[in-house]
Amino acid sequence: MRAIEADMVSCHACHATVRIGEDPGKGEPHCPRCGEALAFRDYTSMQTVWALVIASIVFYIPANLLPMMHVHTFAGTQSDTILSGVLYFMETGSYLIAAVIFIASIVVPITKILILIYLLVSVQKGTIDNPKKKQKLYLFTELIGKWSMVDVYVVAIMIALVHFGGLTQIEAASGATFFLLVVVTTMIAAMKFDVRLIWDNAQKERDG
Amino acid sequence: MGTHTHIVVCHECDEIVNVVDPYKEGRYKCPRCGHLLFRQKHGMIEKMFALGLAAAILFGLTNYFPFLSFEVIGNRAEANFLTSVQYLIEEQEWLLAVAVLMTTLVVPSIRIALVLALFGPLYFGKVPGYAPGVLKLLDQTLPWAMVDVFLVGVFVSMVKLVKMGTVIAGISLWAFLVMVFVMAAMQTTYNAHMVWDIVETARRRER
Repeated sequence: MRAIEADMVSCHACHATVRIGEDPGKGEPHCPRCGEALAFRDYTSMQTVWALVIASIVFYIPANLLPMMHVHTFAGTQSDTILSGVLYFMETGSYLIAAVIFIASIVVPITKILILIYLLVSVQKGTIDNPKKKQKLYLFTELIGKWSMVDVYVVAIMIALVHFGGLTQIEAASGATFFLLVVVTTMIAAMKFDVRLIWDNAQKERDG
Repeated sequence: MGTHTHIVVCHECDEIVNVVDPYKEGRYKCPRCGHLLFRQKHGMIEKMFALGLAAAILFGLTNYFPFLSFEVIGNRAEANFLTSVQYLIEEQEWLLAVAVLMTTLVVPSIRIALVLALFGPLYFGKVPGYAPGVLKLLDQTLPWAMVDVFLVGVFVSMVKLVKMGTVIAGISLWAFLVMVFVMAAMQTTYNAHMVWDIVETARRRER
């Protein structure tokens, strides 16, 4: 049986199981163990997640088009985007590093955005099939979330080490900031998503 | 309102799970969706305290010594943890500076401090009054500590820089490498479920 059917709720902060019906108190119920506000479901999470997903798509465009960093040398200034960074590693034969950057900076953000959209649509349409598979997809987006930060760190480390005054120097460029925003918005979106909504749909089917 | 320590509600699918023997060692999974409810291991408090101390020492070393040195034809640049944040501020890349500072330095050190503040007293048999707050903060800060991702970033940068000059790994890098593993071990040992039980039992005794 699900907790919601038994008037029970699990505190999202301390995981205490609380029976809500026992206390007809006024206003919002609070967890007796840790004091957090209790709610059966977070129905507003859908709007929040949609907003963050759309924001991340908007940030994703300049993140890919604008350079991540400027490399100043005596030979001139060269600007690196995410894709040109991957291509550089391919050309110089560092295939493993090229793969790491390609997966962390291109595959991971796109996968996260697509999975979140798929989950949002399926919850809103009331799709009932494969809740277990959808939950796995969700946990996967949560797990891979922070790994896209690799490219931001690479920029940060490069500018720290290649800093020889006016002649040879690496500077961060605006693409890096937009990319950071993509990572942060998709991470918060994944956190806000209430997985239990997927299972509610499946339950409606079980009830007939 | 009543709390039931032996009845657990799965946070993923909302199934009510009756845990028969919650103090036996092992992994407790939700029968409906298969998600891990909690992991019970003996000696969790001792291990957490030890790992927290180790992480604190390693993190201290990491910040004291140079991280990487880079040499190109006579020019030498040394970087430690704050160098990149300093240059990012100089370039007025505020968001990047804040993100790098928070995820690699501030949040990880806060988490180590929280672990010590919680498991230190617990190790000596005391349940601190601030335990609920610490437990909540440990939960909220978890996704924003990215030392492991930073380590991968270091390796990628090293490969990139090796083609331009000589890269020398400093003491900090080795300390940091070990710290990443210590913090990973901390995460697999940590069992919030058990600490919440200890907090609740202590409160009941007080009454």
